[in-house]
Amino acid sequence: MKRYDLIIVGAGPSGLSAAIEAAKRGMKTIIFDENEKPGGQLFKQIHKFFGSKEHKAKIRGFVIGEQLLKEADEAGVEVKLNATVIGLYQDKEVVVKIGEEICHYKGDSIIIATGAAENMVTFPGWTLPGVIGAGAAQTMMNLHGVKPGQKILMLGSGNVGLVVSFQLLQCGCDVVALVDAAPRVGGYGVHAAKVARTGVPFYLSHTIVKAEGEDKVTGVTIAEVDSSFKFIPGTEKHFDVDTICLAVGLSPMSQLLKMAGCEMEDNPKRGGQVPICDENGRTSIPGIFVAGDVSGIEEASSAMIEGRMAGITAAEYLGYMDKEELDKGMEELDHALNGLRQGMFAPKNRGKKITETEEGIPVSENLLTKGYVADDEIERFPGVTHAKGIHPVIECTQNIPCNPCQDACPKKCISIGENITSLPTVPHAEDCINCGMCVASCSGQAIFLVDEDCGDGTATVTLPYEFLPLPEPGTKGVGLGRSGQPVCQAEVVSVKSLKAFDKTNLLTMRVPKEYAMKARFFKAE
Amino acid sequence: MDTRIAVHPILGETTKGREISFTFDGKEMTGYEGEPIAAALKAAGVMIHRYTKKEHKPRGIFCAIGRCTDCVMVVDGVPNVRTCITPLKEGMDVRTQYGVSAEPFDKQ
Repeated sequence: MKRYDLIIVGAGPSGLSAAIEAAKRGMKTIIFDENEKPGGQLFKQIHKFFGSKEHKAKIRGFVIGEQLLKEADEAGVEVKLNATVIGLYQDKEVVVKIGEEICHYKGDSIIIATGAAENMVTFPGWTLPGVIGAGAAQTMMNLHGVKPGQKILMLGSGNVGLVVSFQLLQCGCDVVALVDAAPRVGGYGVHAAKVARTGVPFYLSHTIVKAEGEDKVTGVTIAEVDSSFKFIPGTEKHFDVDTICLAVGLSPMSQLLKMAGCEMEDNPKRGGQVPICDENGRTSIPGIFVAGDVSGIEEASSAMIEGRMAGITAAEYLGYMDKEELDKGMEELDHALNGLRQGMFAPKNRGKKITETEEGIPVSENLLTKGYVADDEIERFPGVTHAKGIHPVIECTQNIPCNPCQDACPKKCISIGENITSLPTVPHAEDCINCGMCVASCSGQAIFLVDEDCGDGTATVTLPYEFLPLPEPGTKGVGLGRSGQPVCQAEVVSVKSLKAFDKTNLLTMRVPKEYAMKARFFKAE
Repeated sequence: MDTRIAVHPILGETTKGREISFTFDGKEMTGYEGEPIAAALKAAGVMIHRYTKKEHKPRGIFCAIGRCTDCVMVVDGVPNVRTCITPLKEGMDVRTQYGVSAEPFDKQ
């Protein structure tokens, strides 16, 4: 039986982060992961992350994955792949299935970083080929380069449902509807808005009645539900689809902890069965720690910080670090983690109905029920400014922990201030030099550069554009409103694709000046 | 129906292993070495991986990460192979699984 100072289960964002910290302190560390490749779900995340610099904001998930792997390699972490941990027993004995072999290992400390599994819902026809998890869609398109389907209906409006819908559009699929039984959009408004403006209709308070098809999905029927989630007769709507994608939440994969005898609790705010643990990740069994989604569903950004916390806590537990150093490290990480746990979507606000922003501005009801801010709501948000010449219009309307836009502007036009969740303001709109850095830096794709009056009856709108093919300058088409409905004629003026924009192209379109504050997406004719 | 993503707006060109041939229910097909068997089948338009033992209902890809076991097939004579996480190899014999066998139910 091989012995290690630290055995980590799961080579995702939290497991890798924990391993890096522990190995840097000289601990003999091994990670087991059942997958063929390390990185967990990070390599499927192709969008830019939220947060601030310390949270790797505006960097795409798969790039963060590459950075973590490099760091783990440099720290001397051993990663054992295709290795499924099937048992965690007394005295921290770990049983691992590697190929057809069962191997035994002993860890002086253990970190469980197994993450979460997707939830499912059942309805008639849910077992048909063509009904897939949202994670499956991400795996097929972003890892294996295969489209999950051609015409797709997404069930679930949390961040996973919204982000995956956008990714489906990016790889050329048609998302016919985004459906959620809840009365309000569950994920970030900016994620919803970037999907809605491309023309995807949102059906809140709706769910699937049945999937249709004999031996594979050929269609789906949805219907509206009342406040007790019962179908309202006569509200059925049919869509021809070949794929139904389910994004209905995640549950912690905490089975190993239960097996080991850790004290568990059923905590709906954390997503289900979770170990009872302190903020360092210490479970009820000394020397067994947890990090990431297994102890409560959050984001990859917070999982990475929790991983680092568990890593240094394990180091202190075995004497590789003194208490003082641990406290100092924890203080810094705590600060970073707290930054992410602020705002409307903070774990403490889960399930709460929020009616106004921290600034006292009524939230957009339309955003919550239809996925986009209505034209008569947008003006009340502080980032939506008017000035002579080109200036940023920031359609960021919810308090989320994110601030890359304020650092992106070389002219310091944009301000968020000390509080990372504050809505961005544009105190110096007139100083804008049209560089586009703010547009490309916004992980929510909520910033537009607008020249409201070019002097000839037209206006220009510059928007983030992450689709192929890139339209050529001169391409004629229509300007779509925030709702995704055509509002006016539009012509592409320019398309900028700088390295600094990191694959977010800046498309500038010319529209009649009455539509300067209405047209937010371009569709070629 | 073009199911392979040739160029992706964020990920760029899809990089794959060498093109190889394999068989699905005896029919010659091509895929890329090392990609999951399920990806090659999906790209070729195959949706049904197996039929359930009791009710003979079709199943296909569901989780695509090796957890749900809906996509299992008979590969090189071995049943219950999770095709979503098993790398494709040259000459593989991939068969629809009926219950736990590659024989259709009427021949079992």
